[in-house]
Amino acid sequence: MIQLDHIYKWVKSGGRRVFLLNDLSLHIEKGEFLSIMGTSGSGKSTLLNVVAMLDGFDEGEYYFEGEAIHDLKAKKRTSIFNENIGFIFQAYHLLDELTVYENIETPLLYKKVKSSERKALVADILDKFNIVGKKDLFPHQLSGGQQQLVGIARALIIKPKLILADEPTGNLNSTQSDEIMKLFKELNEEGVTIIQATHSENNAAYGSRTIKLLDGSISKN
Amino acid sequence: MIRNYIKIAFRNLNRNKLYSTINIGGFALGLSACILIMFYVTHEKSYDTFHEDSKRIFNVFAKTNISGDVIRMNSLSSVAAKMIEDKDPNVSSAIKIKTEYNPVIIKNPENQSQFSETDLVYTDSNFFNFFSFKLINGNPETALERPYSIILSENLAKKYFGETNPIGRNLSLRIDSTYTFTVTGISEETPSNSSIKTDLIVSASSLNTMKEAFYDMRSQIFQGGSFQTFVKLKDPEKVAPVQRSMNALAVQGHEESTDEYFLTNITDIHLLSRESTNVKYVKIFSLVALLILLLALINYISLSTARAGTRAKEIGVRKMNGASQRSVAVQFFLESAVYVFISFLLAILFTILLKPWFFSLVGIQIDSSFFFDPGFISTMVGILVLTIFIAGLYPAIILSSYQPIETLKGNFGNRKNGAQLRQVFTIFQFVVAVGLIISGIVIHQQINHLRTLDTGLSRTDVLMVPLQNTMDNSQSVFREEVENLPGVRKIAAASLPMYGGTNMYFVDDKNSDGQIPLPILATDHEFIDALDIEWSIPLQDENIATKKNSVIINEATINKLHLNPNPIGEIIVFGNSQYEVVGVVKDFYYDSPNNEIGALAMFVSPSKEFSMDFGEKSSCLFIKFRANANVSSIIKDIEGLYKKYDTENAFEYQFMDEAFDALFRSEMRLAKVLNVFIGLIVLISGMGLFGYATFSAQERKKEIGVRKVLGAKVTQITYLLSVDFLKLVMVAILIASPIAWYVMQQWLQGFENRTVLEWWIFAFAGTGSILIALATISYQSVKAAVANPVKSLRTE
Repeated sequence: MIQLDHIYKWVKSGGRRVFLLNDLSLHIEKGEFLSIMGTSGSGKSTLLNVVAMLDGFDEGEYYFEGEAIHDLKAKKRTSIFNENIGFIFQAYHLLDELTVYENIETPLLYKKVKSSERKALVADILDKFNIVGKKDLFPHQLSGGQQQLVGIARALIIKPKLILADEPTGNLNSTQSDEIMKLFKELNEEGVTIIQATHSENNAAYGSRTIKLLDGSISKN
Repeated sequence: MIRNYIKIAFRNLNRNKLYSTINIGGFALGLSACILIMFYVTHEKSYDTFHEDSKRIFNVFAKTNISGDVIRMNSLSSVAAKMIEDKDPNVSSAIKIKTEYNPVIIKNPENQSQFSETDLVYTDSNFFNFFSFKLINGNPETALERPYSIILSENLAKKYFGETNPIGRNLSLRIDSTYTFTVTGISEETPSNSSIKTDLIVSASSLNTMKEAFYDMRSQIFQGGSFQTFVKLKDPEKVAPVQRSMNALAVQGHEESTDEYFLTNITDIHLLSRESTNVKYVKIFSLVALLILLLALINYISLSTARAGTRAKEIGVRKMNGASQRSVAVQFFLESAVYVFISFLLAILFTILLKPWFFSLVGIQIDSSFFFDPGFISTMVGILVLTIFIAGLYPAIILSSYQPIETLKGNFGNRKNGAQLRQVFTIFQFVVAVGLIISGIVIHQQINHLRTLDTGLSRTDVLMVPLQNTMDNSQSVFREEVENLPGVRKIAAASLPMYGGTNMYFVDDKNSDGQIPLPILATDHEFIDALDIEWSIPLQDENIATKKNSVIINEATINKLHLNPNPIGEIIVFGNSQYEVVGVVKDFYYDSPNNEIGALAMFVSPSKEFSMDFGEKSSCLFIKFRANANVSSIIKDIEGLYKKYDTENAFEYQFMDEAFDALFRSEMRLAKVLNVFIGLIVLISGMGLFGYATFSAQERKKEIGVRKVLGAKVTQITYLLSVDFLKLVMVAILIASPIAWYVMQQWLQGFENRTVLEWWIFAFAGTGSILIALATISYQSVKAAVANPVKSLRTE
């Protein structure tokens, strides 16, 4: 599904190149649940952003489902992202002034999905995540775990083929964390490809494969 | 989608109450001021445009040359209108109007009720054809055909006849003699933007048989006279040929005529009248309205960009969820539209509440129907659309272009987004505020300067009481009784009240064949003494002034008439009579201090029995009170005496110093209105600064936290946060001061007597604005400085 070949990404600092990604090659199959581990600054987030096409890279090739991303224009990349990828943040990034229901509905609005269909889709996912009772609450009225549930629900509403999660449980306690991981596992079993970046060995263990990053390169597969 | 945006707009509004209040409240306030001023300006500019043929209707005026002085004549002879209509085929019709300026006593003979009215007009029978005034009752074609027909406004008809039908009933009008008029029509009230008042219209044919009108009707040639004359052209472009025809008509009547005739479109009359104070007003007010709107807009944009930091995350999230740049821009436009719309609704509410107060402040009366004038409404809608566009443009373009990943990484706050723009805005706002404060002080100083000006005579504690000829022979008895009242120190009389204009006579010029216009004033022998007018060359003998053919002149007359520096004994020729100069008084202002003191000849009447040469009919008493007198009770006494001797005309009086102050009424009004707007502009600027300080403090929360952890004291932090803003205000003061100095210097050039621009005015305005700025930002600075650093340094 994803093919990264010899990816380099650097920033210039004092005339020297500092490598964020250094000759990184990675192949991810459809249906995998990949955990990326590594210390702070090892390039986990950068890699996720590159995979999500939110960030560019300086050298190398990237194929997403056979499409040569490195040759595409920004607009096309954005549309591939919007069609295929759901992104989950450590800080949830819900819209504060929208209710749970409205937060989940937002991607559908931008996709111009019809009202009746929207209602059905949102209702389904609320039901699946067991948060129907919370649909009219605002994010600040929820616990961290519940907020992340909403974040995941929002990422899933467009039925993405790939979910990218950047330390999804970084702000949660261990119980909440385990629940989110179990949910990921279930989703993966339903066929969604998942890539998560994490600090925690425990979380990484939920994945089908783990890679370790060090200074922008894969140190152990 | 759109519903979603609007919902979010309202939730944002509710969540950020401070921001909403400043943004929407300030904007509404500014808009409301702008609407009121626009209302005034549009109304001033709309004068006489309601006439269907307004573009083709012109007012005739003439310039005539009298020994070098060009005098403007606004009125022509009674035959002029008919003559030009017959002579020039470009003129489709013409009309004459004479206004009776003296009060007219109107009686309803059925119930003997009696009223005194002014502004009666005499006009031709084509009045309702020519203009677009409407009759409610009566036939507009024939109502003014027969002599002694009168048309009343609806209100006056009610006043004289109550609810009964007045058509065909009689009214007696006492002008000098008394005449009986028949009511032939009821007119609609005069629109507030009409320069012709139509409350009382009388057929001009009546003048043929009225003896008061003898002099008005005498001239049978095309020349100046008593009738305001209007022509309606077939083609409004044909002004020049018609002007030529009129000049030719004037030469036909009088071979040596050098009179030049001009046409002014009826819609221009109003703004050109009254020494063009109207034009000045309209210009200044338009500028102020524009500034207020601009400042309010700037606040809006400035605050929106300041808030960009807090909205950036939202935009990032939206983009991650599939929003395009366009849909984000649309969202901000829509949000801007919602806020601007609320502001407009609020502004309309403010406007309705403030309208009566504002109109009384600028001293105008505006029909409320004018609110629905299509021109006015379309201007407002134009402003609405423009505001939505401008207010939405900046946030829509800048905010929507953010890269989502950057804003979500959280390093957005470090970018000084729009900070420079906000600084420029803040400086601009304070330049306007400081500049206006300086201007306000200078205008105030100038008015004070004028009010306390030594005008060469004492005008305090002097009451002026004009006497009408209805008092006739009882004038001297009345005067004596007033003089005997306790509290009255001196009493004097003159042909006219002070500061209300003078009569002109023509005297022979010693150096040429020409004639020189010379203002004259007839007085009694007490006048000079009672008003403390000083002598330059005193009378040699007390009684010489009252001798027949004696004249007293002021110093300015010596130059004007080219007399000897010591003119005693010189002869001034008024028509057929010769007058000998017996004394010279020092110059004193008898007219506006905005003009140079003109020449003046004073004739002193020999006795208290105040009879005037030169056919003066009216007179005015000058009653000087003792310093400790109870003024209101004396006025009541005088009124009692007046009513005893004059049963027809109402008792009128004016204090001389108030009459003097009234000469610069327009400046005082300007000052008053400007005060309000200065207050408003300071308020709006303050609100903007407050909002800016709030967001700046939020933006620097982390920095403040770090500094505090490192040991900074509250005072140091407060200073740190305040000093940046104070710098901006200082820059504003430096920019505003020279501009204000220059503009006010120009403004003062319009005055003959002017105050000096002193340094303290600038210091005062500067210090004042710094204090205002300090008060505004200190709240936020202190609040940020005392906040617990643990909170601000905690990450998500």
